[in-house]
Amino acid sequence: MLRSFSIPTSLACCIKLGIVGFFASTTAFAPSLHAADFDANASINIGSLYEPQNLDNTAGAGQGINEAFNGNVYEALFRLSDSGAVEPVLAKDYKVSEDGLAYIFTLQPGVKFHSGEPLTAKDVKHSIERVTGPDSKSSRKNSLKGIASIETPDDATVVIKLSARSISLPYNLSYVWIVNDSGKDLKSAENGTGPYKLGDWRRGSSLSLARFEGYWGTKPTNSGVTFRYFTDATALNNALLTGSVDIITSVQSPDSLKQFQTNKSFTVAEGQSTTKLLLAYNDRVAPFDNVKVRKALARAIDKKKLLNAVWGDRGLVIGSFVPPTDPWYVDLTKVDDYNVESAKALLAEAGLKDGFTFTIDTPNYDPHPLVAQFLQTEYAKIGVKVNINIITANEWYSKVYKAHDFQATLQEHVNHRDIVFYSNPDFYWGYNNSKAIDLVKSSEASMTTDEQTGRLKEANTQIAEDAASNWLYLYPQIVVSKASVTGYPVNGLNSQFFTSAIQKGGK
Amino acid sequence: MSLTPADTPQPTAISVRRKIPLSLIVGGLIVGLHLLAGILTILWTPYEPTAMVGGRLAEPSIAHWAGTDRLGRDLFTQILIGARIALEVGSGAVLVGAGIGITLGTLAAFATRTLDDVFAAAFDILIAFPTLLVAMLIVTASQTASLFTAVLAIGIAGSAIIARLTRILVKRVLSMDYIVAARVAGSSWPSIVFVHVLPNIWPTLIVNLALQFGLAAMAESSLSYLGLGAPPPNASWGRLLQEAQGTVYTAPFGAIAPGLALVTLVIGMNLLADGLRAFADPTRRRSR
Repeated sequence: MLRSFSIPTSLACCIKLGIVGFFASTTAFAPSLHAADFDANASINIGSLYEPQNLDNTAGAGQGINEAFNGNVYEALFRLSDSGAVEPVLAKDYKVSEDGLAYIFTLQPGVKFHSGEPLTAKDVKHSIERVTGPDSKSSRKNSLKGIASIETPDDATVVIKLSARSISLPYNLSYVWIVNDSGKDLKSAENGTGPYKLGDWRRGSSLSLARFEGYWGTKPTNSGVTFRYFTDATALNNALLTGSVDIITSVQSPDSLKQFQTNKSFTVAEGQSTTKLLLAYNDRVAPFDNVKVRKALARAIDKKKLLNAVWGDRGLVIGSFVPPTDPWYVDLTKVDDYNVESAKALLAEAGLKDGFTFTIDTPNYDPHPLVAQFLQTEYAKIGVKVNINIITANEWYSKVYKAHDFQATLQEHVNHRDIVFYSNPDFYWGYNNSKAIDLVKSSEASMTTDEQTGRLKEANTQIAEDAASNWLYLYPQIVVSKASVTGYPVNGLNSQFFTSAIQKGGK
Repeated sequence: MSLTPADTPQPTAISVRRKIPLSLIVGGLIVGLHLLAGILTILWTPYEPTAMVGGRLAEPSIAHWAGTDRLGRDLFTQILIGARIALEVGSGAVLVGAGIGITLGTLAAFATRTLDDVFAAAFDILIAFPTLLVAMLIVTASQTASLFTAVLAIGIAGSAIIARLTRILVKRVLSMDYIVAARVAGSSWPSIVFVHVLPNIWPTLIVNLALQFGLAAMAESSLSYLGLGAPPPNASWGRLLQEAQGTVYTAPFGAIAPGLALVTLVIGMNLLADGLRAFADPTRRRSR
């Protein structure tokens, strides 16, 4: 996972870095305590492996900033709730013109920035332009490309005009932080409208958020939270065991869970993640430009066995790039189900009866090297020899992501609704099928979400039929907390971690 | 060993010489065991090294002496292969290091005073950088992680220590009267080096090389632990340790077994070096 990212951030955005896009509602939160049972002045310590590189999500801060700031320090016109729904936040309501080319947003009244200034339409315009501007490193910049102009007829109204219909606009706006237009450097400071303001940021160690008393919405059920950053998962687990953190945002190994499952002082919550592990081929180069070869390679892997090796009984084999929390999920596990004989037959049809040799550029952090060895053993059964080339996250970014200089690679993609990557032939894996590209592009011009969903389901099926990549499995999302702590999100879509409903029992 | 008349052992010294130090025996046994294990894997291993023959993280049993890893592969098989890789890298790196180090050290000792100072300073500077760091730099710069680059990198990184020691030893020998005598007798430089110098510094050097061997095995494990050593499926102990890290609480044997293998090899090499020093170093023997 590009989690311990010390590098280029745009990568981070698009791969393991959660992009700030989102979708929807709040039903998946851990059960809350009764009001009388918790201490509203308790401070919550959150243990995480994802320290942000800076505080600005348009400056390559990595997924850590989404975890700490989305919905906590900054709000957007909409938000992607923990269950995957898009709900209005700073947009009180909105209207769409009949041709679908103009969106008129009415802003929530009485909203104040942490600096005390009121939220105005100009701030919204400034915030969107900050993401779409030339200096922005936001990975979802492209999805806002269709914005032709932003008008602010009065302080409470924003009109966005589009050059082409874009049914995902509210969703896309959910990752545009609304920031004050006073021009602060947001890499080391903040000025948002969220329930918390930035307390103390100690690079390399922690970032604290304090309750913002002037918040317009529901007040947090705690006085503040501190994200404590760890580089080692074992150290993080120990921190929870010894009580120096209250929650771990995402547990990365099933084996560390036993110590919490058998202890009543802790709660283990399993939610849905959007993190997919895939063997991505460079579809531009032989023999991966041949769909039969790709299908053969997909069928030669016993993915359930692989998932079990890495995650024990958790996680899910999905057979495509689309997880169940995306509206256009289809169960495509049967398309290229595990079948060694059929894999061999397909290879023979492709003229590679005697197999071939290829190299997997493998990121040097767990689970990639282990997974690469599994693939190496499985592919040997169909006569395909795999060389494993271990590389760092930095090398992955320059060699694979930028230069496309690879045959195949392992990578985790964390984003939700990211099937759009398959509609970009210049993306690192170079998948290029005009039917799938048209479907993805035309889905954006849909008049209804049903129409959009229909098209994307079709695109998803086409991409899976083409075995564009080898989607190995979907990660589980596991949050562990002290039993006295409740109210946290369990799904972690796009790496978000809303903290304002977290409660700590007793005084 | 070629000894000068002054060094010729007295009758009592002969009995000392025959007494083999305990550390040499124990060290030799441990290293011999690793050597046997390593050679054995060329001919036979309990299981196919990459075959997923057992359950996930199975505990040690009669079928799997060290248990299995997350993919269900037999750990004992991998540890045996790890011994071969440690020995290959250890001996390869020592050969490379000795080749470079002894050549440069000897050249420095024979060089003019200014050049010698330059050499000496260069060795000191190189030694100031930790061997592992230099090895990592070399592997990274070569862009490919393989057994060969690991051997080369560790060998080059360790050569400065051998060079410095060689230089000092050679200089000491060069100041001896018999070298002056050889020069007067018209011996050429090469014949002085090969006939008089190297045979006399060899005992001290070999002890040092044995120590270097242990360090090289450890450096290989460290590189593999960082993903810079021999790529999978080469079962390096360092990689086994790295893979077992996440499961160290639930399946500790996955880390204990390769850890023990590495520790015993390094201790064995150190004992062997110590024993060799006691057994073979003429200066030590004289001081008894």
